[in-house]
Amino acid sequence: MIADILTGAVRSGTSVLFAVQGELVSERAGVINLGTEGAMLAGALAGFATTVWTGSPWLGALAGGTGGMLIALLHAFLVISRGANQLATGLTLMFLGMGLTAFFGRKFVSESIVGFNPTPIPLLSDIPFIGNVLFNHDPLTYVSFALVPLIWFALFRTRLGVIIRASGEREDALFASGMNPKLVRYGAVLAGGFLAGLGGAQLSIAYTHSWVENMTAGRGIVAVALVIFAAWKPLRAAVGAWLFGAAQALQLTVQQQGYPISPYFLFMAPYLITLIALLAVEFRKKSRMPEALGKVFTGSPGGAG
Amino acid sequence: MMRSNATAMTNAAAAAEPARAAGSAEKAETAAGAGATGLASKSAEAGMTGAAPSPARRGLPPRAKSALMQAGLFAAPFAAFGVFLLFYGVNPIDLYVSMFTSAFGNRYGFGEVLIKATPILLTGLAAALPARAGMINVGGEGQLAIGALLSTAAAVTMLQAAPAWFGIPAMLLAGALGGAIWAGITALLRVKGNMNETITSLLLNYVAFYTVGLFVHGPLKDPASFNWPFSPPISDALRLPVLNGSRLHAGIAIAVVLAAAVWWVLSRTRLGFRIRVLGANAFAAERAGFRVSRMQLLTLVAAGALAGIAGMIEIAGIEGRLRPTTGANYGYLGFLAAWMAWNHPLRLVATSFLLGMIAVAGNSLEMNSGLPSSSVHILMALVLIFLLAGGRIGRGRRA
Amino acid sequence: MTKAKRWVFAALAMTFLLSFLLSACSQPGSGSTSGSGSTSGSGSSGGGTSGGGSADSGGSSGEASSGAVGTGGSAVGFIFVGARDDYGYNQAAYIGSQAVEEAFPDLKVLRVENVPETAEAERVMEQMINDGANIIFPTSYGHLDPALNVAARHPDVAFFHQGGLKTAENLGTYFGTIWEPVYLAGVAAGKMTKTNKLGYIVSVPIPQVLLNVNAFQRGAQSVNPDVTTTVVFTGSWCDPGQQANAANSLIDGGVDVLTQHQDCTKTVIETAERRGAMSVGYHADASSLAPEGWIVGSVWNWPDLFVNMTKTALEGRFDGSMYDGKYRGTLADGTVMLTDFGKNVPDDVKALVGEMKQAIIDGALHPFAGPVKKQDGEVVFAEGVIPTIDELESMDWFVEGVIGTIPK
Repeated sequence: MIADILTGAVRSGTSVLFAVQGELVSERAGVINLGTEGAMLAGALAGFATTVWTGSPWLGALAGGTGGMLIALLHAFLVISRGANQLATGLTLMFLGMGLTAFFGRKFVSESIVGFNPTPIPLLSDIPFIGNVLFNHDPLTYVSFALVPLIWFALFRTRLGVIIRASGEREDALFASGMNPKLVRYGAVLAGGFLAGLGGAQLSIAYTHSWVENMTAGRGIVAVALVIFAAWKPLRAAVGAWLFGAAQALQLTVQQQGYPISPYFLFMAPYLITLIALLAVEFRKKSRMPEALGKVFTGSPGGAG
Repeated sequence: MMRSNATAMTNAAAAAEPARAAGSAEKAETAAGAGATGLASKSAEAGMTGAAPSPARRGLPPRAKSALMQAGLFAAPFAAFGVFLLFYGVNPIDLYVSMFTSAFGNRYGFGEVLIKATPILLTGLAAALPARAGMINVGGEGQLAIGALLSTAAAVTMLQAAPAWFGIPAMLLAGALGGAIWAGITALLRVKGNMNETITSLLLNYVAFYTVGLFVHGPLKDPASFNWPFSPPISDALRLPVLNGSRLHAGIAIAVVLAAAVWWVLSRTRLGFRIRVLGANAFAAERAGFRVSRMQLLTLVAAGALAGIAGMIEIAGIEGRLRPTTGANYGYLGFLAAWMAWNHPLRLVATSFLLGMIAVAGNSLEMNSGLPSSSVHILMALVLIFLLAGGRIGRGRRA
Repeated sequence: MTKAKRWVFAALAMTFLLSFLLSACSQPGSGSTSGSGSTSGSGSSGGGTSGGGSADSGGSSGEASSGAVGTGGSAVGFIFVGARDDYGYNQAAYIGSQAVEEAFPDLKVLRVENVPETAEAERVMEQMINDGANIIFPTSYGHLDPALNVAARHPDVAFFHQGGLKTAENLGTYFGTIWEPVYLAGVAAGKMTKTNKLGYIVSVPIPQVLLNVNAFQRGAQSVNPDVTTTVVFTGSWCDPGQQANAANSLIDGGVDVLTQHQDCTKTVIETAERRGAMSVGYHADASSLAPEGWIVGSVWNWPDLFVNMTKTALEGRFDGSMYDGKYRGTLADGTVMLTDFGKNVPDDVKALVGEMKQAIIDGALHPFAGPVKKQDGEVVFAEGVIPTIDELESMDWFVEGVIGTIPK
């Protein structure tokens, strides 16, 4: 039973994982993107549609990332170049993403694709217990495994990472060294959008092989919350994403075992767990927030412009 | 009033604030620069501060210019959406015209727009009020749902035999209480736990949705409903009065009165003044000794009460019973309306009417052209995008 | 805003209030009719306007009008709760609407999808009536109360509601005894399962859903006493993420035949196919999605029924017709059907199902003939008892052999 929950956690947590890592990068640069939900939806539709047209799920994944990036581009423009309020802009883009994808996605609801299928990694997947939990998934999930150390490395061990973090913590220093923090932020937001789109694409091309409007069902919002829970650290963010997936898997397992718990409590559980996790972390986290992000939350002028 | 430095600073900030809200940046600067007096807020409006005035105080050219820009920003999304429609063979002029005629052409259509606008107005207030205090509350949806839940619960358990003059206000109170409690969670998490209210209120929306589901499948399920999930109907005495010939109910009046009340508190009372200062410059507010936490709590809870009343109105005005999907989408529409109105309560009446018109138009769009009614979400998002791009909703968190 | 404008606004607000107090206002339920300026009287007449109307046909508040119910319109309106391409519930209804379109080329067909099950539906229906529709098909259960409200305001419009349990003078409900083919599908599943574990993915515990689950289990159990059906609620009628979660989770738990009661059916079937489990379909024939694992499916045959109902209304024969009330199409008259079998179904299973199908049609076999026991062993239909349709359509329990909990 535990193995099943863990497997389910990884399975349904992957799309959130991509979005979480992307949002992490964006927030490290000082921009919070509540439009992640819209970016995920755009990625899910773009990916699905491309896979339908070209037959190649990898092209679909790429298109999904691009779709998410386009939404993020709009966010970056409004927030960085026009100085708009980050939270309001993000919510607007979420709405826009929902509307656009519902509109353009109508004809794809009945389409079928040859998407990504679970491909067990030989040898590794035979390991009892963790073999199934970790090594019997679709290719994009394996990519997500690799993504976590990659993001960590990029952020904390490379010059690029320093620059990104600087734009979120000490943009004056960045200015002084001749770089434009705005440009860096653009890049970070776009990267975040790409990853969110990839997460959406994983959902449609790999996990469900379908497209239905609003299929992300709040995963983007949860992703933003999880980044805060993770104190902007990639590994913790991944754990958070899997935690959310585990909550979803848990409610299924509880039902299957026949425990007399109302399904509605179980449906609430993933969101409640996210809230509780946020609360638990809140008491320790104050010092960790990137400074520019802090300005967004307290509303002082000079948010991200 | 004490003429301390802090007060002067906050007065200046407050003076700048309503001027900005009125949509004119130049006036704000003039007012702030002209120094602080206790009457700065009103005088900025009148364009006179009693100190050195600027010669071009006729105000027409810059005012006309900014009005023109505002109009342009407002029309642009409709034009863009029109182009979008053209691609699909729909004549946008037809759509916009039919939007108008169905809204103003007959009593029924007008009533329908008002019905739709009522919860949007209230959830818009629920977003706008905290926004003036510097917070972003997107939990209107959840607060509405819990308000609907509590008022229905009250109606079917305690108020079944109550006469209208008692029952309706009691239900109103119950609805307000429900929304207030739900917003209270967000508020507590913000004030005690320092958790950002946008995210917590968003997450709580989902929890609220499932909570309603829990109740209509369980304790509140109508025993005569053949086990389908909705509550028993509330008694006829508890229904809001309706204008004959349409479905228009008294809820719109309640909503408009509440909007006026919120406006009055914000612009005419000391508390409202302090709230606006908090929103304009939290640092100054703290320095001036305002009890920030208490004010934040208060505004959020009040906002929740407003949304909860919207929930009660949905039940007593339209639905007659609680269903699993009561109130879906109104939270976001309210948020949009609030930002379109620059969080000004009276302007909100107009923007919620506009959004109501657009939402109602969505269905005719679908019936006449086959395009899904969700396409109007695109229009609504475009309107807000142009507003945001226009830089009017500028740095910081409120208008 | 200037001071003057503020006072204007306040005055407007006051006027609003006053106009309500003074003008013709009444509380709903006092018998107001559309268009007329009848004054308030606050006694309730139990009509459909308050939405909680009584449960039998003929309790209406409308007045007699010219022309029979349903005639004289230029359009027919269909409202759907979801999207038309869902390979499921709404698609079936949509196909029915297409049949009406073809059969009556002079009638305009108005369609609105994604109509929520709230009073919003009233507005959509009113708009359709405004656009000339004198026949309305609300196709989802939750559209019933809104439809009853609108029906009371427009006594000359005919309403055909799908699945409802309350009727009115001008509103009839229709449905099909879908549990009959679901029972037969259960028989096939019971025969073909190797693990003796069947899985049912559903949304919310409404009676129609519980009825189907029970029928499935009864069918499977009739040929395989050890079989169980595990039920998983997703809380949504179409959420592919949840569906994939549920399907995978059930299969992990040993289930080898999956079926569902969802509005969109693609995800579950494709997931089952990918993981080598067998599928039983619902709402629509999705065998093309599962070439190896498809067993059989239960589907609706709305086209003929919709056309017949429209014809009856157009010809002015609605009142007193079989559609003016609770109409239930059956396996026998073809309103509900079994699809073809999948290619891997052995002949003896096909033959058995065929025999039992005939028995149901002949009336010799009833899926819920007693004894029927609940999960806890309590007998709910005694030996020899055949439950009525009302009893079946208001079920709130699971039969024994079903693993799952209904929220109370």
